[in-house]
Amino acid sequence: MSIRVLFSFVKKEIKQIFRTKEMLILMFGAPLLQLLVLGFTVTNEVKHIKLFIEDRDNTELSRAMCEGFKHTDRFDLVQQQRGESSTIMIQNWEAQLVVIVPQGFGRELRQNRKPDVQFITDGLDGNSAAVSLGYAQGIVARFIQSMLQESRQKYPFTALSSMPSQVIVSQRMWYNEDLNSAQYMVPGIIVILITIISMMMSAMSLVKEKEIGTLEQLMVTPASKIELLLGKLIPYWVIAMFEISAVTFAAHFIFRIHFTGSVAEMALAAGLYLMTTLGIGIFISTITDTQQQAMFFSWFMMIFMILLSGLFVPVQNMPYLIKKLTLLNPMSFMLAITREVIIKGTPLRYMFREVAALTLYGFVTFFLGVTRFHKTTK
Amino acid sequence: MNAEYMIRTEDLTKVFGNFTAVDKMNIEIMPGQIFGFLGANGAGKTTAIRMLCGLLKPSSGKAMVAGYDVRVDSEAIKRKIGYMSQRFSLYDDLSIGENIRFYSGIYQVPYKVAMERAKDSLKMVGLDLSMKVMTGSLPLGFKQRLALVCALLHDPPLLILDEPTSGVDPMARRAFWNVINSLAEQGKTIIVSTHFMDEAEYCHRLIIMRSGSVLVDDSPRALKEKYGSRNMQELFLLLAGAVNE
Repeated sequence: MSIRVLFSFVKKEIKQIFRTKEMLILMFGAPLLQLLVLGFTVTNEVKHIKLFIEDRDNTELSRAMCEGFKHTDRFDLVQQQRGESSTIMIQNWEAQLVVIVPQGFGRELRQNRKPDVQFITDGLDGNSAAVSLGYAQGIVARFIQSMLQESRQKYPFTALSSMPSQVIVSQRMWYNEDLNSAQYMVPGIIVILITIISMMMSAMSLVKEKEIGTLEQLMVTPASKIELLLGKLIPYWVIAMFEISAVTFAAHFIFRIHFTGSVAEMALAAGLYLMTTLGIGIFISTITDTQQQAMFFSWFMMIFMILLSGLFVPVQNMPYLIKKLTLLNPMSFMLAITREVIIKGTPLRYMFREVAALTLYGFVTFFLGVTRFHKTTK
Repeated sequence: MNAEYMIRTEDLTKVFGNFTAVDKMNIEIMPGQIFGFLGANGAGKTTAIRMLCGLLKPSSGKAMVAGYDVRVDSEAIKRKIGYMSQRFSLYDDLSIGENIRFYSGIYQVPYKVAMERAKDSLKMVGLDLSMKVMTGSLPLGFKQRLALVCALLHDPPLLILDEPTSGVDPMARRAFWNVINSLAEQGKTIIVSTHFMDEAEYCHRLIIMRSGSVLVDDSPRALKEKYGSRNMQELFLLLAGAVNE
């Protein structure tokens, strides 16, 4: 292998990348946009849920409990429309959550008889319904807790204060205390980004040479297959590595997400992962003839990889067979590593399984891609 | 095999599935010859040329190019040939100078030497352009000549031109053939495929192919005399098309 030949390819490729406007937008504009859009909008938090409270008790205690729903931006209190029942309000999308406080709530609570409170949610959007139920339960639980403390101090000998103390769950979400969705999404965005750059761009740039006929010209030159492929892929590898750093920096300043792990270890994992995606890129270029086909094929692969990566749906929640399928997905390993290293600062030695998988996939895919790529046609 | 031939094939055959693209081709090409491959579209010219370049593996038969066997030493052959296909194959988004620099890197020709050769070739093909001009902005006739310049950077003894003049205007074609002639005078062997019959007259020797077979193999003058045709056009229609239909 000649360094000069390799260098000629690299130089030419970089010149071409920086001269193609579409490539630049795809490589530098799109990542920033994705980071902002996904970071700000893809969120599991639910805010401004339309809440209707039907307080049939209307006592001091019931009103005090309902107060808890008013001092948060998670709920927007709505008023009853012309005597509609609460069920109609859900049907008409006027309320997403209805809290019904039954008559006698305050009395039963004082007598330590555990009154019922009913929540009705609009399950059409199951995710926000579940999340809003969680919030509402939390508010009620906090109310009961504060009631207990207060009454123990005020009236130490009443029935309420003699209520056996319940187990109070105090939650702490380590590494992401306030369930900040950006913290959760950013590692995923980094992985998606470098996959696009390496897999799609490399496939497209190889197919482009096929399309315009320069690949045939290169094949009659003495340049070897390895020189050709490495020369074409090294620039994408470098750009992908650069983008990881750029996105990490941007995430630091925009979303206050701090890189807690080892940069060198992250680079190692990314380097290995990129071998896989570049290998797939070569592979795609060998089975397609036009840039459109290559683009379509890469998207097809991307969607599968993203869905099976655990970014949007946790792998643990998947059916057994699909769960096994994620073991074939290099992206799921890379995502796990990226999250652990960036957010938690986990050293790679604790992620042996993931690193081993990336190494295996990296070398196998790259080898297969290179073998499939022929300088001669059959 | 005799080294005095630039190219010699023995029953060179290429089969795709049950379609025989080139059927037992036997040709001998001497150094310094302009050798024409003629035939209608699909006659097997391009397939034959691709085998001689090492781009396609022959199904059977033998071919020696510049003293190397195409089956064994296809990589060694690649250093000996300059190839130019009907598709323009330089990079539009690189400047003339950058294209030259790239190909000199690929062929590992020292940059200074390559630049000297490029300047000479540019003069020869009649291009007087700044190295900074973007290749994509040139008209097709200029691009083809520039592609020829790049194919000559490593000073190959054998030039293989696959329909180099398709899509080029008559003036530019004429200029192109003048260049080919002077290259042959310099001792280079040149294989040209074409379907312009007036161009066939420029060849020292030519073959006419049909359905993968070589119909005739001789000099244009000898062929015209033998078949009593006034020009190559008539001869070609006689041999490649009308006969046996």
